[in-house]
Amino acid sequence: MNDPTNVRPTDPPGAAVSAGGEAPAHRMPLLSVRGVSKNYGPVEALRNVSFEIHKGEVVGLVGDNGAGKSTLVKCIAGVLRPSEGEIHLDGTAQEFGSPADARSAGVETVYQDLALVELFDLADNLFLGRELIRSGWLRPLGLLRKREMGIQAREAVAQLPAKFPDLAAPIDTMSGGQRQIVAISKAAFWGRRLMLLDEPTAALGVQESAGVLEMVQHTAARGDIAMLVIAHNLEHIFSVCTRILVMRRGSLVANVNVGETTAEEVVAYITGAK
Amino acid sequence: MTTTGGASAVSQVARAPRWKTVLTPTTARLAALIAVVIFFSIVNPFFLTADNLLNIMQNTVVVGMVAAPLTLLLVARQVDLSVGSAVALAATTLAIIAEAGYGIAAGVVGAMLAALLVALVNAIVITRLRVSSIIATLGTLVAFRGLAKLEGSGRNIRLEHFDFLGRTRLNVLGLPVPLGVIILLGVLLVFWFIMSQTRYGRHMYGMGANPKAALLAGVKLERNVTIGFLMTGLVVGVTSLIAVSEVGAVAPTTGQGLELLAITGIILGGASLSGGRGTIPGIIVAILILAVLDNGLTLSRITSFWQEVVRGTILISAVALDQARLARGKPDTRFEL
Repeated sequence: MNDPTNVRPTDPPGAAVSAGGEAPAHRMPLLSVRGVSKNYGPVEALRNVSFEIHKGEVVGLVGDNGAGKSTLVKCIAGVLRPSEGEIHLDGTAQEFGSPADARSAGVETVYQDLALVELFDLADNLFLGRELIRSGWLRPLGLLRKREMGIQAREAVAQLPAKFPDLAAPIDTMSGGQRQIVAISKAAFWGRRLMLLDEPTAALGVQESAGVLEMVQHTAARGDIAMLVIAHNLEHIFSVCTRILVMRRGSLVANVNVGETTAEEVVAYITGAK
Repeated sequence: MTTTGGASAVSQVARAPRWKTVLTPTTARLAALIAVVIFFSIVNPFFLTADNLLNIMQNTVVVGMVAAPLTLLLVARQVDLSVGSAVALAATTLAIIAEAGYGIAAGVVGAMLAALLVALVNAIVITRLRVSSIIATLGTLVAFRGLAKLEGSGRNIRLEHFDFLGRTRLNVLGLPVPLGVIILLGVLLVFWFIMSQTRYGRHMYGMGANPKAALLAGVKLERNVTIGFLMTGLVVGVTSLIAVSEVGAVAPTTGQGLELLAITGIILGGASLSGGRGTIPGIIVAILILAVLDNGLTLSRITSFWQEVVRGTILISAVALDQARLARGKPDTRFEL
């Protein structure tokens, strides 16, 4: 197993990095997963997984089906509780009892099925569960501040690389790529620390994938957030990620900088040939 | 270091043509209502008189009352089939308390408590016992009807001195408007407000359209359903008072079939059994269409059996038209509940 290595978050994706093992000791990692295991009875879905992610990084998480990628992400997202080990954010140990706990700690997840309400428009989806309501004595009524939510949604969308001409349209009129971008922009809108993306390009064609990857890079360029991206497509991983974590049978088997590895090597880690 | 050429690929949603934004499900129904009104006005000179129009409105009161909370529930993919039986149970409670000499006021309190208790039972069966609302309330539909018959020993019970709610008419712009109609308008306004202006309403739409997404977004499904059923109970209680007051008696069959009448109106009004769709204005128009048809056919001396045939045909036609209009690019809902 490789030593966990960290690239400098300012390094652009794909740039050659020679800093393996020389992570600056004074910088606290944003996410620190320490010895996390998850058992279902005798089945070990995760075995003693440890790694760190720093602010500004886009880290790819790859592995074969059933390697434990989704289980790991669900543990970080608060959907599952680890059987053993700890998850630290900015140096503080976290015990997420629910996805809501993780969200309030600044961790946003984009699920594979997107978890969007198809009949709602973009603004309604952006604010679902976190609606802006009027304050003061009317607060208990939960009166929606529709105009304010509309303005904030338009501002958020205006900065995106993708364009949405009709913001009032229900999102079931959008393409798969556009919906993925809505889901990512929702996570980016609320996420303060970490975004977890589960297969963001899985069901998309070449052009739509490119748009989504552009969206990932656009979000990462904010610099104040880190991303962990599950993907099967290594080309996509190599185009946006600075580092790759490889899982096999519940264990983390590789943690390599993109500039120091090749697709062939990563495939070898995935299949167990290396 | 950005990927180029991606932005154009995921842009460009086709903008809906102008006629589509004007011809919403609600405006289409409004046009249908106007057409039906014009038709009956030509066919029968008595139709378009103040007396008859007030009569039509009076006839919408009981159905319209229960339709309001049922719309809120249906939007959240929940249905309450037990409202008709609940009206009977609450009304019978009022009647036997009054009959036993405890007074109308005690009877009214008893009826409201009975209606709320019924709603609480429905909510508990659904949220705690995890029985889907359609099955839970199918069970309580039968059970509460039985309870109402037990309570009243299957008799017709006359109720004297309680015609205030059902028979009072208020002078509005010179017209004698039934008090029930004004209460109905108040209830509809409240539910329009809840559904369109509050976070609770937004969450009900969200959880109906996609329960899993709503849950992940932190929407409290069980709490919202419980509140929805309790609001239904409150309205059912008031409805039972009006129903009893209109007739001056309670029968074992009071409120029978009310749930299906209300749901017919709601679906005709643009709601869907798969949740997420439906608005109070749409439901108001639909219930008026049904009431105008009933009234117009009665004035034309067409037997009430035909009214039922027409009602069913209208419902199917309206939903079929919606499906045709929405067909392209929409998920197929034919095989959903």
